[in-house]
Amino acid sequence: MGAKKEKRVVLETRHVKKQFPKVLANDDINMVLYEGEILSLLGENGAGKSTLMNVLYGLYKPTSGEILLEGEQVEFSSPKDAIRQGLGMVHQHFMLVDNLTVTENIILGSEPGKYDFIDYKTARKEVVSISEKYHLHVDPDEVIENLSVGVQQRVEILKALYRKARILILDEPTAVLTPQEVDELFEVVGRLREDGVSIIIITHKLEEVKAISDRVYILKRGKIVGERETSQVTKEDLANLMVGREVVLTVHKDEKEVSGEPILQLEDVVVKNQKGINALDGISLDVRPGEIVGIAGVDGNGQSELEEALVGLLKLESGRILYKGEDIAVLDTKQRRGKGVASVPADRQKFGLVLPMKVSENMVLGFHDEKPFVKGINLALDTIKTHSERLVEEYDIRTPGVEVPAGNLSGGNQQKVILARELSSDPDFLLVAQPTRGLDVGAIEYIHSQILKMREKNVGILLISLELEEIFSLSDRILVLYEGKIVKEFLPENTSDKEVGFYMTGGKKTAEDRA
Amino acid sequence: MQITKLKPLFYTVIVLLALVGSLMYFASIFSGILLILAAAVLYFVYYGLSVGKGASKALALSFLKSLLIPVIGVASALLIGGIIMAVTGYDPVTAYKALFYGGLVKNWSVSVLNAAPLIFTGLSIAFAFKAGLFNIGAEGQYYVGAVVATFLGLHFNMPALLSIPIIFLVAGLLAASYNFIPALLKVKTGAHEVITTMMFAQIARYLSSIFIRGMGGSSDGPHPYVTDPILKSNWLLKMKSIFPHANYRVHIGILIAIGMALFVQYILTRTKFGFEIRAVGQNKDAARGQGIKVGRNIFIALLFAGFLAGFSGVNQVLGLDHKLYENLNAGYGWDGISVALLASNNPIGVIFTSLLWGVLAAGGQYMSRTVQTPNSIVEIIKGIILFLIVAKYIYIHIGHKFKNKKKEEREAVK
Repeated sequence: MGAKKEKRVVLETRHVKKQFPKVLANDDINMVLYEGEILSLLGENGAGKSTLMNVLYGLYKPTSGEILLEGEQVEFSSPKDAIRQGLGMVHQHFMLVDNLTVTENIILGSEPGKYDFIDYKTARKEVVSISEKYHLHVDPDEVIENLSVGVQQRVEILKALYRKARILILDEPTAVLTPQEVDELFEVVGRLREDGVSIIIITHKLEEVKAISDRVYILKRGKIVGERETSQVTKEDLANLMVGREVVLTVHKDEKEVSGEPILQLEDVVVKNQKGINALDGISLDVRPGEIVGIAGVDGNGQSELEEALVGLLKLESGRILYKGEDIAVLDTKQRRGKGVASVPADRQKFGLVLPMKVSENMVLGFHDEKPFVKGINLALDTIKTHSERLVEEYDIRTPGVEVPAGNLSGGNQQKVILARELSSDPDFLLVAQPTRGLDVGAIEYIHSQILKMREKNVGILLISLELEEIFSLSDRILVLYEGKIVKEFLPENTSDKEVGFYMTGGKKTAEDRA
Repeated sequence: MQITKLKPLFYTVIVLLALVGSLMYFASIFSGILLILAAAVLYFVYYGLSVGKGASKALALSFLKSLLIPVIGVASALLIGGIIMAVTGYDPVTAYKALFYGGLVKNWSVSVLNAAPLIFTGLSIAFAFKAGLFNIGAEGQYYVGAVVATFLGLHFNMPALLSIPIIFLVAGLLAASYNFIPALLKVKTGAHEVITTMMFAQIARYLSSIFIRGMGGSSDGPHPYVTDPILKSNWLLKMKSIFPHANYRVHIGILIAIGMALFVQYILTRTKFGFEIRAVGQNKDAARGQGIKVGRNIFIALLFAGFLAGFSGVNQVLGLDHKLYENLNAGYGWDGISVALLASNNPIGVIFTSLLWGVLAAGGQYMSRTVQTPNSIVEIIKGIILFLIVAKYIYIHIGHKFKNKKKEEREAVK
């Protein structure tokens, strides 16, 4: 693969520049896409990847520079233009109508037929023939909401192919997929390449770049800082290029003997969700001091209920939560926190922070009525301020000051505010849910190191994450959560992400069914 | 630093200057403004000396900036009102001259009388808003306060220094308890306070008529039912007894209202109770997740809102009317929504927006009497100002989006 063979250039940008008021989002981008190759565009959040793709897709007009399609200069005034010329884009958030069928979704916007009548027969036939041609198997008559995320993504790809896309842009395509679905996607993408479709994958995941693409451009601060043949570059090199400094990719975890009584035990915990279904269906687990227990699972299998039950936001139907031997299920949130239970919630903006309130106020949220932050009924504003300033320093939070609203901070820094608040409370048990969702490599590295520091301090840690990689790199033990049950326990060194992924998608059940 | 040792002295002088100044100004002795200005200057000077010159400048700038949008809003509303008058054949210049001469100078006393009850109801609504609640029933709590104040005022024979605080307190507490059921329903069942307090307001309005009759109220021919005057010892102090030239109706209720605004501001910004109220109001889930008792805070906030609105009724009975007329359209509860919105729920801002509303009402009457321009133009201007508040939120929304976009772009080059 790659540039060794003489290949036809299908898309090229020359000196493309996108200037926003005060900000240069893309600076002198020279990029080439060959026919039938998979090109990765790697960069941290906000490196300018999306801006560049939006320029290509006709959503933004470049400030200067030119775009050449098949050697001819083009100017797209809208995505419609781009689509007509053979570009297709699969967004991170799918643009599908849930209650329409696959066929209806695919033809939406370019329905065949005369006048106001849609020729469904032709449409369906065409959808079937495309899906056969590219081996993208979907039931054309199935309603979208009945499909899994992976299949929905396939529909999105079909949608682009139906519009005769020769260049396909995939925006963070694996963000929502399970390992199995990722494999399937990669197969599909590989087949598309064989059929001569050129593909651009936007991503910040290094494995993805290594696993699938032929070539990669690394974007940083709006500029291309490197171009590599994927086969000749290591993940470490890519990471360093992307962040601009040495990044420790593999989390360094010291071996640690975990012993002693569990600090937290769940005994047959049953929790109902709003629909009255058992979201947690008899879960038992324990976490010992200095141990990180990772909960792996596909989103929606009881993670948020587990989180809320532990914090005290959801009542248990039955079962017990033992903390240091005491049943805390009967205590409220405040009391649990008082006993040393801290939590970093998965939805940080909804459950973790009051965005319009100051950084300093968020730093003491929940502790604002305890000494030394309160004097009588008055807040000790000076103490709160110095305390927050110390934490800002200690946790390297980038903020113009502690008096600005927390909502003004970037996602990574918001997460650091929560982390600072929870970790500085000196907990004995820490619940961490989705600690790095949406954050860039630098912030992830930092947050992981902080979690490990708590492990060093003998804090018992329960980690809930949808990112298998995170689970593997941090956990001492892995529990798989599927449909509200713990279906399997692993030691990370004795298993693989494939095996865990198998159980995450209910593999055990189907295996048993077959037996 | 040496200067911080003088803090008590500075603050005493500033507070004294401001107090005497506003007392004079509200008694229509306009030179009082000089004392108020002196207090403001002194504050800036002290702030500059103790924190730093730059900080003082920044404080002044942020103060002026916060005035910018309201001033633009009012100015544009007046402009549009002027155009409407010009188109319909009235002379906007004479009309506005009359409006402001009437509202700010000639009948300033009426403006002050108008503003005081509005401050209380405005505070009530603003406070509830801070907790994420819409106390639309402030009108009802006003009636409860007024009825209780009348009853106690008729029967409480004690020195004023004792009886007046007790009347305020008891009437306030009963007005607060009038929100007990809506608050309980809100917390336990989620019943929306807009519906419940509104219904309770209707009940209170009509109950007030019954109470007037129950308290021995009588009607004199075409006039509405009215109670006997309350005991003179329960009257609020008149400005006239301090400044002999002051209007005979003006009383110190406005100062109580301003004191209350400062108190509410204090609670919101400096106490743990206010902290929780704001956290609950701005993000219930995060508050609950961090162990703050959301239900309890909502409950207390709604009761406290009732307490504040009740003061409005007390103020009218003890200060101005000295008896309770049968009047089903006091309207202070409704206007309180406007002044709270206009002040973006800032307690200090409520003082000024209430005064603005008071000036517009008093000036409007004067204008229609003297230059025969219909008073309805004032209502139109009020409507436009309120509309522009909504526009202000649109502006903020757009500004926010713009800022976010810029932030994204900034991050794009990081």
